[in-house]
Amino acid sequence: MAVTRFGSLAARAPVPIFAAIGPGRQADVERLLARRGLRRAHSPRDAAVLLVSGDLPDDMLEALSRVHAQLPHPRATVRWIDETADEIADRLRDAWHDLCAGVTDEEDRLPDVPPNEWKGVGPHGQGGEGMMGGTPYGRSMAMTGPDIRDGLQLDRYTARIGPFAPMLPPGLVLEVTLQGDVICDATVANAAFAQPAGADAPELCAGRVVRLLGLEAAADRLIEGKRPGAVWLRGAVPSGLGLAEGTEARGRLGAWLAGEVVTVAPVDLPDFLEGAEWSEAALLLASLPPSAIIRATRPTEVA
Amino acid sequence: MTLLLALAVLGTLLAGTLFAAVLDRTALPLVAAFGRQRVETEAPDRMNRDLAPAWYLALAAVGLSVVPFAPGLALIDSPVGIVIWGACEALTVVTVFLHGWSPNAPFPLIGAYRYAAIGLPVMLPSMFVLIAAALPAESLSLVAIVESQREIWNVVRQPLGLPLFLVVALALTLRGPMDYADAADIASGTSAEDSGPARAAWQVARLAMLVSVSAIAATVFLGGPLGPVLPGPVWLWLKTAVLMALIVWLGDRVARTTPSRMLGILWVVLLPLSFLDLVISGVLAL
Repeated sequence: MAVTRFGSLAARAPVPIFAAIGPGRQADVERLLARRGLRRAHSPRDAAVLLVSGDLPDDMLEALSRVHAQLPHPRATVRWIDETADEIADRLRDAWHDLCAGVTDEEDRLPDVPPNEWKGVGPHGQGGEGMMGGTPYGRSMAMTGPDIRDGLQLDRYTARIGPFAPMLPPGLVLEVTLQGDVICDATVANAAFAQPAGADAPELCAGRVVRLLGLEAAADRLIEGKRPGAVWLRGAVPSGLGLAEGTEARGRLGAWLAGEVVTVAPVDLPDFLEGAEWSEAALLLASLPPSAIIRATRPTEVA
Repeated sequence: MTLLLALAVLGTLLAGTLFAAVLDRTALPLVAAFGRQRVETEAPDRMNRDLAPAWYLALAAVGLSVVPFAPGLALIDSPVGIVIWGACEALTVVTVFLHGWSPNAPFPLIGAYRYAAIGLPVMLPSMFVLIAAALPAESLSLVAIVESQREIWNVVRQPLGLPLFLVVALALTLRGPMDYADAADIASGTSAEDSGPARAAWQVARLAMLVSVSAIAATVFLGGPLGPVLPGPVWLWLKTAVLMALIVWLGDRVARTTPSRMLGILWVVLLPLSFLDLVISGVLAL
């Protein structure tokens, strides 16, 4: 009895959703998750329902399974193929109610084994030098290298972030080498998924930046077409950040807040990101409209 | 009397945390989180992972224990109450760092180091505004600081004090513009790997710290339990509740800039402002 009462109380909480956004669905998902009663989880650990939208390419399915395995039990997956937003919102709520009632759960899709073995070069065999570096069991270890700001030897840590990382554009996989949170090296390991022009809508673009500024509720209000009800939005974006074609991140946010569509010519993304701190990099990527990100990350097609 | 005061501290902390959860609209999500699985990361620092929320909660309780609930009446009537609270602030930085350190994962660790970097320049203005408030009382005891506000509250006498202390409060409660530990660009940072009861416990401790820091601010700047007609504890609760609502409101309404820029603002703008507050208070106290 106590369990069911607890479950029914929990079921009244907003549905904690982690969204794996596929090609063409960014705008739909962003509008959906701004609704009342649905909550965008901060990380997969914070989520109960995995929302998979759009047709994911086959090479992204392993990454999807890894995200799925990060959700705590009990968990559920909801696939969004061609239902309307209202239908999918109802399905998300139903899935959450079932989870709270304790009637459903999902097992891991991948076996719980390390992505690679403990092997490589070096005296300890983990693939690095001395006791540092390498990727034993697929977990990358830090290795010293020259600091890009003053040349001192500091630990460098290389990791792949994406394709479903909540602070990056959907589909984008960045291989970044970090010293602290300064990006010394960045390569695009997978391009951002193609999105229709609707993803460039000013309120959605502004919402992405405002969310990174720590204002979840204001971002949701913007997406719903209301005033953000928050202060220091433009001022919080450092001036000079993300200079492209004479506009900078702060100016683009200002234009979006005023309801204007912004277009930016393709930029050299790795060049843009190197030397930035991680928080600046995330802000910078959010300050580019999806169309610009997609063109910047796609390899140029040879005619 | 000691037992009564201990009950008052615990009751205030409990009721205040519930009130904070309502203000923050996190009551139901917290209940839901308690019913979910706690996932263990690979090779975590288990002791610190378990201790971090407990420390945070304990620091909130210790901070509240030096607050006078009626004129002349605090659970710990220490001659150096302000210093005890200062220690709670400094140890909060350590606690948040351990919370980010313990899961053995990159985003929590980035959050931990960021908070340590932001923590120091936040603690310095905090100490200066609190010492400025101690000057008219000629004592570091919070009971004496309350007595010194019988004529005029410190918020009027030292107008820079409360606004600067609100910045400290936002940082100590990991909120809005000062939430560098659990920010969105690092997927909620030190909490990124927390799930289930562990996540909920950290959030509860964070809300409890909101009660403590608001009670301290109410005591130091708004005369604490002083007020007409109503009994002392009621005045303290009312003032604390107003400050809690103000801090939550600021956290939801003010944008957060990048950490490096905030470091510049803290060292170049807020720290000199806190010096100015100290100088003005010192001259007035002469």
